[in-house]
Amino acid sequence: MADSLAKAGLYFDELSKIRVLEPEAAQETNKLKEECRDFVEKITEFQKIADGFIFMIDSLAKEVEKEKMKAIGARNLLKSVAKQREAERQQLQALISEKSMELERLRIQYQSLQRTEMEQQEKIEHLVLHR
Amino acid sequence: MLRSTIVQSDTPIYSAAWGPDSNQVLHTSGKMLIIKHLTPNSKPNKWRAHDGLILKVAWNPSNNLIISGGEDCRYRVWDIYGRQLYCSQLDDYPITSISWAPGGDLFAVGSYNTLRLCDKTGWSYSLEKPTTGSIFNITWSSDGTQVAGACGNGHVIFAHIIERRLEWKNYEVTVTGRKSISVQNVSNDAWEKLEFPDRIIKVSLGYNHLVVVTSSQCHIYTTKNWNTPVIFDLREGSVCMLLLAERHFLLVEKSSLSLYSYEGRLLCSPRWQGMQPETFNPACVSISPDTIAVRDQTDEKLVHLFELGTARSLVDAPPIRHGGGVVEIALNQAGSPGERQLVLVDKNRDMYLTNIRGSATLKRLCKLGSMIQSLCWNNDTNMLAAVQDTNLIVWYYPTVLYVDKRLVKKTVSHRDASEFGKNPVVVSFDGNHLGVRRVDGSLVTSSVSPYPSVLHGYAASSRWDDALRLCRFIKDSTLWACLAAMSTHAKDLTTAEEAYAAIDETDKVAYIQHIKANPLRTVQLAEMALLGGNIQDAESILLQNGLVFRSIFTNLHLHNWNRALELAIKHKTHVDTVLFFRKKYLETFDKPETNLQFLQFKNKVELDAEKIAHKIEMEYQKELQNG
Repeated sequence: MADSLAKAGLYFDELSKIRVLEPEAAQETNKLKEECRDFVEKITEFQKIADGFIFMIDSLAKEVEKEKMKAIGARNLLKSVAKQREAERQQLQALISEKSMELERLRIQYQSLQRTEMEQQEKIEHLVLHR
Repeated sequence: MLRSTIVQSDTPIYSAAWGPDSNQVLHTSGKMLIIKHLTPNSKPNKWRAHDGLILKVAWNPSNNLIISGGEDCRYRVWDIYGRQLYCSQLDDYPITSISWAPGGDLFAVGSYNTLRLCDKTGWSYSLEKPTTGSIFNITWSSDGTQVAGACGNGHVIFAHIIERRLEWKNYEVTVTGRKSISVQNVSNDAWEKLEFPDRIIKVSLGYNHLVVVTSSQCHIYTTKNWNTPVIFDLREGSVCMLLLAERHFLLVEKSSLSLYSYEGRLLCSPRWQGMQPETFNPACVSISPDTIAVRDQTDEKLVHLFELGTARSLVDAPPIRHGGGVVEIALNQAGSPGERQLVLVDKNRDMYLTNIRGSATLKRLCKLGSMIQSLCWNNDTNMLAAVQDTNLIVWYYPTVLYVDKRLVKKTVSHRDASEFGKNPVVVSFDGNHLGVRRVDGSLVTSSVSPYPSVLHGYAASSRWDDALRLCRFIKDSTLWACLAAMSTHAKDLTTAEEAYAAIDETDKVAYIQHIKANPLRTVQLAEMALLGGNIQDAESILLQNGLVFRSIFTNLHLHNWNRALELAIKHKTHVDTVLFFRKKYLETFDKPETNLQFLQFKNKVELDAEKIAHKIEMEYQKELQNG
């Protein structure tokens, strides 16, 4: 009877319930289904991890980019500081030369005053000696 | 409205400036500077001024100087003939702006991150390096104490002049801020700090007083008391110049001149036609205790004189006219009003001396020197110092010009001015100290002999014995020459005789002895005038005292034939004497008579040598009897 049922495409399982599918196939199908679900779960998991990874990489890239810009900026700044220093040096040089000119003027004046003092001293001595 | 196009050129004109008389325009053209007269068809005066493109020029109306700056990173000072008076050192950046202070004593130079303040002679007072970018234009405030600059970075920079320093005797005054002044007494190291409610505009120190002009008031301090100044409000509030003299000071405001006493009282306000006090050149105004002299601004041949009367009144003395165009004037400071003298320098740099008061002979202009670059009177005695070409010259007794012209050279001290470099300027002459400003701005002190000023003192008080003793002690020929001139001027014969003897002027000594031998005072006076070469004076003295014969005879001695004959005819006496001497003179030189006047009388008058000699003898005896 089971065979005739099988011919008709009907089967009984262990629990004596009537089935349209062959019990083995059904079993396999079920198994497949289970496995598929597992697979889907795993894939989802993987995707999640991959997403996380991508996000991390992205932020890292951003970080790197930022640092890079910073570095470039710093390097440019460094270059301009050298220039700025040069300009400052030039300015100070100009101020120094101005001051040194003034100093020279004062030196000449001081010298002339010293000479005058000497002349007067001589005159006083002369007068004291020859009075 | 466009009136006319005066210049058309292929190169861009970066800058232009009006000339002082508004008849000429100065403009740039590449590396050239061009002065173009507005009269049509006039040839412009042009010269190559810079090695790079000229970006800015300025022309000052009061001192007539031109400044220019350009892409060759230098600024230069020029006179109106295109002669270079100063060339700056190489700067780091092109000069983008340049501007005169209204008074013409300073100018400002702007460049990239640079603001410079310079003296009119070109040397730099100070340098600032503000972060402004290039300063494209500079403008001064009308009182000449502040500048505003248009900066390349979009800012406007304001600057105020401080650290102006003045010295007088033992006092040193420094403007430390916009509204504060510090005074130091160098001899005892005492400090004073003076504060003012307004901006300080002018400061002047001298004659025991410090005068400070702020934007609305005038403060007068004496050196004895720094705590309680005399303060008065200004009439106009815009002072262009401040000149001090012994008893008063002159304030030059925008449209008026006022003389104030040190008590703050207004004494008087001189005025004349066409005066523009705003553009006064400091070299063309001079004051002394009793006189003010100002050169006219439109007519440069004219010098106005104002005498201060005793009753605080002002007398307009007749102006002095000099054909050469006056560029500098100076009044002496010492002595009585009768000794007031004016020196003037004309366009050819010749220096002339004249007395302000006295007779016509004293008032005539006498040439004292040529090629005078700068001059200064002494503050205490009437000595004059000047830079002449490459010499520093001190005239110990300038009046000698009116006493004995041949002594001028002997009363002068010459000194080589090469230690002062090119174009030095005498800025002060106090006591025996001369202050000379070199072209690089340094102030060189130089001392002159102290004895002439002592001699001046003795002469002023007629202490001739002391004067003689001083000269004998010093044994200096210059001093002796000064004494000779002074004593001759004062008509002190004994002193003059010894002084002339000391400088080996035997002819003068002999003449003085001849004068002394004459008992008549008037004759002595006339002969003294002759000694100084003042023939006209001598003649007028003689004529005034009725000594006709002597004046005729004096003219005969001087070979002044025409005048002698004229006098003889006029007074109807001694015509034969004159003709006789003329004949003798012609015979000695073996010359024919060519003088028409004498030819006329030749055969009309009988000449008898004996009679004439007798007549002369009679005249001398008559003189003695009358005297």
